[in-house]
Amino acid sequence: MNSRSSLLAGLFALAIQCSALELRALPEFFRPDPFGGIVESDRDGAGWLTAIKAKAARGAYVSFHLVAGGSGAGECALSIDFPLTTDVYREWFHLNTADRKYYPDALIPIRSPYRFQIPSSDNAIPGQTAQAFWIDFWVPASTEPKTYRGRARLSDGSGQRTIPIEISVLPAVVPERDPVTLDNNSYGTSWLIQQYPKALATVNESRRAEDELFRLIHEHHQLFYDHRGTFHQLGYGHAGKVGPEFAPELTGTGAEKHVRSWDRFDRHYGPLLDGSAFASSRRGPRPIPYVYLPVNPEWPASFLWWGEPGYQAEFTNVLSEMERHFREKGWTSTVFEVFFNQKKRYKGFQWDGDEVRFSRDNRYFVAYHDLVAKAIPADSPVHFRMRADTSWTMAHQFEELKGVVSFWVAGAGEFSWYADMLPQLKQRGDIVWNYGGTPTVEQVSSTITLNPLQSWITGVDGFVRWLTVNPGPDPWRHLNGGGETLIYPGERFGVEGPLASIRLKLQRNCLQDLALLDEEAKAGSRDRVREEVVRRFNNTKLAEWRNTRPETLPKSVLEWNNADLGDALKPFESRFSNLQPSAWLRVRDFALQETGSSK
Amino acid sequence: MKCVLFLMIVLPAVATDVSTLERDLNEIARVATAMVDGDVCEHIVTDRALRYMSHPDPRDQYADGDNYDVDDDAFIRTKKTLIRLANLANYPVDANLWMPLRGDPRRIQVVIRNKYEMSQFWDWGKLSQAMVPEMKEVLQTGKALTVKQKPKFVSVLAPVRNSLGQIVGVVEVVGETTPDARENVK
Repeated sequence: MNSRSSLLAGLFALAIQCSALELRALPEFFRPDPFGGIVESDRDGAGWLTAIKAKAARGAYVSFHLVAGGSGAGECALSIDFPLTTDVYREWFHLNTADRKYYPDALIPIRSPYRFQIPSSDNAIPGQTAQAFWIDFWVPASTEPKTYRGRARLSDGSGQRTIPIEISVLPAVVPERDPVTLDNNSYGTSWLIQQYPKALATVNESRRAEDELFRLIHEHHQLFYDHRGTFHQLGYGHAGKVGPEFAPELTGTGAEKHVRSWDRFDRHYGPLLDGSAFASSRRGPRPIPYVYLPVNPEWPASFLWWGEPGYQAEFTNVLSEMERHFREKGWTSTVFEVFFNQKKRYKGFQWDGDEVRFSRDNRYFVAYHDLVAKAIPADSPVHFRMRADTSWTMAHQFEELKGVVSFWVAGAGEFSWYADMLPQLKQRGDIVWNYGGTPTVEQVSSTITLNPLQSWITGVDGFVRWLTVNPGPDPWRHLNGGGETLIYPGERFGVEGPLASIRLKLQRNCLQDLALLDEEAKAGSRDRVREEVVRRFNNTKLAEWRNTRPETLPKSVLEWNNADLGDALKPFESRFSNLQPSAWLRVRDFALQETGSSK
Repeated sequence: MKCVLFLMIVLPAVATDVSTLERDLNEIARVATAMVDGDVCEHIVTDRALRYMSHPDPRDQYADGDNYDVDDDAFIRTKKTLIRLANLANYPVDANLWMPLRGDPRRIQVVIRNKYEMSQFWDWGKLSQAMVPEMKEVLQTGKALTVKQKPKFVSVLAPVRNSLGQIVGVVEVVGETTPDARENVK
């Protein structure tokens, strides 16, 4: 080949590369795939954008997908020029085991300008033609209300594509406090050690290595906090084994049992309970609102003494010391939960603390309430509460354990039958949350907003996703749906902490809007606001969000089984199936429209 | 008499090697056979729970677990004995009670576990599981057996008899050479 033909060939290659270069955007609820399309479940109503244009309240994020397309193997660069703080993430496309399709979910933080290639060498998707990026524009509460403009630019050395960005910042400010606490649950810390094999390789060997564990725990709290959520870690097993970081170290037995050391407990919990763990958060430092205590039938009192004076002595000695320690530390903003998670099927104890099915087990809650009352001064500024997670017998427990349990976490499905009991529970000062699972990546994107919305419509104080930190052994190439996770370990990408997911960010944005809507509801007619929200969400009426217990269920709870329960709940749950991906975008339009008109 | 037996055994403070662990656990297992009351053990799992375990509900895979129930008094009495046995060592040891599934000798179930949540045999979360060959041997011969299947673990299986002299269960006395403080907190 002579020099002329070489030059022509080079120009031809560049021309192909350049003509293939493409930069497009998608609203946040339309997730892109790695082949220039949109994931199947989000296609209804999807439309590509050639410009980003949005309205935003202050104290909130505005999010979009940017999708770079190109079939060349050359290097591309993405840059964002925008006057407001912008966080950019590369979207990882997970191969989902169940349907062998790719879904974007884990978000890897990157800096603009960012150089990359399509196909991506680490994601390793055969035939990949598109790389997606999640863009978070942060609008601080102090931002001047006006229109801000900028652009996103994609270049490959031979050419470039740009997308204009325009965000109109409204005077409205998203309230800091959420009307619904969105909680993320987890168990112990062994999962952290599995997910961070490098960082925690020597966790049992030195104080310094253990501090690394605490740093990672704090990072998890902060990630959820930054996404308007809370994080719970249960610190004991079904037979009462307590992880060392979840409890003060004890010594002695019987009347002599007491706390030997707070060192490890304080290193773990101190920054969480005084809020300093969140010093770098855009939301500002704030103590965690809730925390499990390690109390269980085997801690702090040995089960050996159950029913004997020694049990009370050990229990009240240690609980009293905890109360005093927390008071002296000024940890008075957090609810300390006395919560029994054990189930008799796991053979540790003779009663179910979690999801009581046999009503005679309620007597143990009463017994422990009496012990707590003996240990904690009635006028203590430290907030101890007995918490119970309830399903089968919730209606009965609400009555029988009145004044004993004051923090209820009720299965969302069955609670829909008893939601009319909510006012009396709240009137007596109880906290009421619902619990459930986490939508998988295959489901339509807006499904992640259903639990927060249902909770807000029903009026409960919070919603717990029962497990949100378990992505499975290989989420990168063999994702098991992601129904037990909303975060991913960052170690693979050199990030010494958890990565957020698209679903977590969609949920955060929903919570921002709910906070705005709640302000509107308080200022005007709550029913009018809720009626319009559900109409926009899935074209329903508020009355359709209420349920009644079907007559077909046997009278005795002991005759119920999961299949019958599922069947009984189907008609209600079907009202919320077939959501459109744009469901929440319509609600947001209403929220911004309402706040725009009232402010 | 029971108190005398307990007082006679004083175990060393720390288990640092397999042989020490094996010696201590064998001693505890010997006492377990003497102390654990097989008649009481037979009353722990309720008949109703056993019916659900023996007849799986084809429509509800969780029906056996949801209906699992025990007699509180029998459970508590036996568990306390097991805790006392474990406390003979002043390092982490568990004494777990295993019993064949009534009416189905091909299966065995852990009936009581303890606070370090150690076992070489339990399939985590399973109500019952296929009969463990080593346990079958103990149930048939009435002789204690030492098992070192899982790395770092030592279990000694001790027979439990009722008042008729029948072997109705097995106590798994189990320890670990290097216990993991965070394992099984789930």
